[in-house]
Amino acid sequence: MSTSDSQPPIASEERTTLGETDNDPIVLLELIQRLKVRDVMTSNLVTVPRDATMQQAQELMRQKKISSVPVEEKGRLFGLVSIDDIIRALVAGTIHESCGRHMTTKLVVLEDDMPLSFALRYFDRYHYGRFPVINRDRQLVGIICHRDINRALLVELTQELHRLEGASLQKDGDDGSGSLYLLREFPICKYDFENAGKAANQIKQVLQEKKLPPKIIRRIAVAAYELEINLCVHSDGGVLSWQISNGRSEIVARDAGPGIEDVEWACRDGASTANEWIRSLGFGAGMGLVNVRRVSDEFDIKSKKGSGTTVKSIIYIEDKAS
Amino acid sequence: MTMSKVAEVLQAEVLVKGDGMSRRVGHVMASDLMSDVLLVDEEDMLLLTSLASDQVLRTAQIVGAVGVVVVNGKPLPSSMVNVANDLGMTLATSRLSKYDACVAVHTARHPL
Amino acid sequence: MTLNALIVACGWEPALVPDPEVEVSGAYVSDLLSDVMAHCPDGAVLITVQNHTNSVAVCTLVGAPAIVLVHNREIPEEMQAAASREGVALLRTTDDQFHAALRVGKALGIGVGE
Repeated sequence: MSTSDSQPPIASEERTTLGETDNDPIVLLELIQRLKVRDVMTSNLVTVPRDATMQQAQELMRQKKISSVPVEEKGRLFGLVSIDDIIRALVAGTIHESCGRHMTTKLVVLEDDMPLSFALRYFDRYHYGRFPVINRDRQLVGIICHRDINRALLVELTQELHRLEGASLQKDGDDGSGSLYLLREFPICKYDFENAGKAANQIKQVLQEKKLPPKIIRRIAVAAYELEINLCVHSDGGVLSWQISNGRSEIVARDAGPGIEDVEWACRDGASTANEWIRSLGFGAGMGLVNVRRVSDEFDIKSKKGSGTTVKSIIYIEDKAS
Repeated sequence: MTMSKVAEVLQAEVLVKGDGMSRRVGHVMASDLMSDVLLVDEEDMLLLTSLASDQVLRTAQIVGAVGVVVVNGKPLPSSMVNVANDLGMTLATSRLSKYDACVAVHTARHPL
Repeated sequence: MTLNALIVACGWEPALVPDPEVEVSGAYVSDLLSDVMAHCPDGAVLITVQNHTNSVAVCTLVGAPAIVLVHNREIPEEMQAAASREGVALLRTTDDQFHAALRVGKALGIGVGE
């Protein structure tokens, strides 16, 4: 991480923050590097001047349903009045005195052009619910809390997902020799049973539009479906790519893990590593790869335990003679 | 026998008419394993299953099935109706068990 | 009808028959073990594709005297061992679930014609 040099080392048992382990999804790691504090913070600020009373601050916090209010004048941040400060003032009978006297002044602030990953470390380290954000000119420009981060990440992840879906390759046309040319790519997520099968359904629909012989359509659709389900059930996620060119359909299911220990065994009838939960969804009977091989004219599988698996199914759609 | 006659014999409630109601049922498949269904090279298949999931419909579309009847009067997730509509797949539920449904369909097709 | 009579009538391959005289009331067709657990009637033979130990365990729980494996699915050693321990019969057929069910229906005389 780019900011790690400027930060004191974090004890190993605290290494639970997003971005601190190698197990976080890469998309998330990229997001928290790419997003700046200013992209996430609330900039629509409610503040009080130093001479406002603690009671006025309390009333403001109640109205706006916020748990602290920055004390600011002309962009300059003097302190923060938190619920703790209010309670202390109530107990001490100083609620009618000024915020300037009773606010928290020992503040940890964030700068607006810091990456979000940096803010996450601050939340982890200081256990404050929120941090005021200042710009380079030390002007107060916003405040950031956990909820802001969650919301921003959700929005960004949703956009990322749409982008990925939009990036699913679509290319149709002619390969120059006059025969059909199609190319599609479908990203498949682990355990995403809600969508598993959609790619194969689409492939079948495309083939029906192109009016290929029903028997061939069915073989291609079956191979695509089994490979799609395999990616969903057994891999950590991967890509199903499908291409028609030179009179043949080629489906390639590629994933980045976890790999198959014994490929020969996995291709046997009835061989399955699926658990009862997957079986209860109607899968995992150990017939997937057998079935793909059965409908394919050419079949190939390459896998290595600990890395990924690539399965290829080729089905001829035009007679060699024609 | 048409899919609509099958629905009648199974005392089924048709949730999505789809494209199958007037199609003839050629082969009957009684299975809850989708890989099992994909293994069968029969046309005009009726799928009797106790599995109530979207994948049943997706599988049925892949093999060009006439329709899907979920047995045991199992309540269906609402997503199934949407998927069936998208795919034009006939979808019905029957209170019969799969065994009784098999016997009923066969008996209707081959009366004594 | 006794299990033995049903086996003969249906032409099943008897891989393991601990008690040929046990009474059979009907059949239950399912590949979902949770579904078998919830709905399989007492005394019904289980017609399934699930050739593993868990099927035996479920049959013991619901009082199903036999498992009929369709598509000629192989019987793994562990399954054979479990079935013999629990006294559950194991039968095999080349039929699929639909046709296996019809044979039972016919044998039990529930109006199944040819």
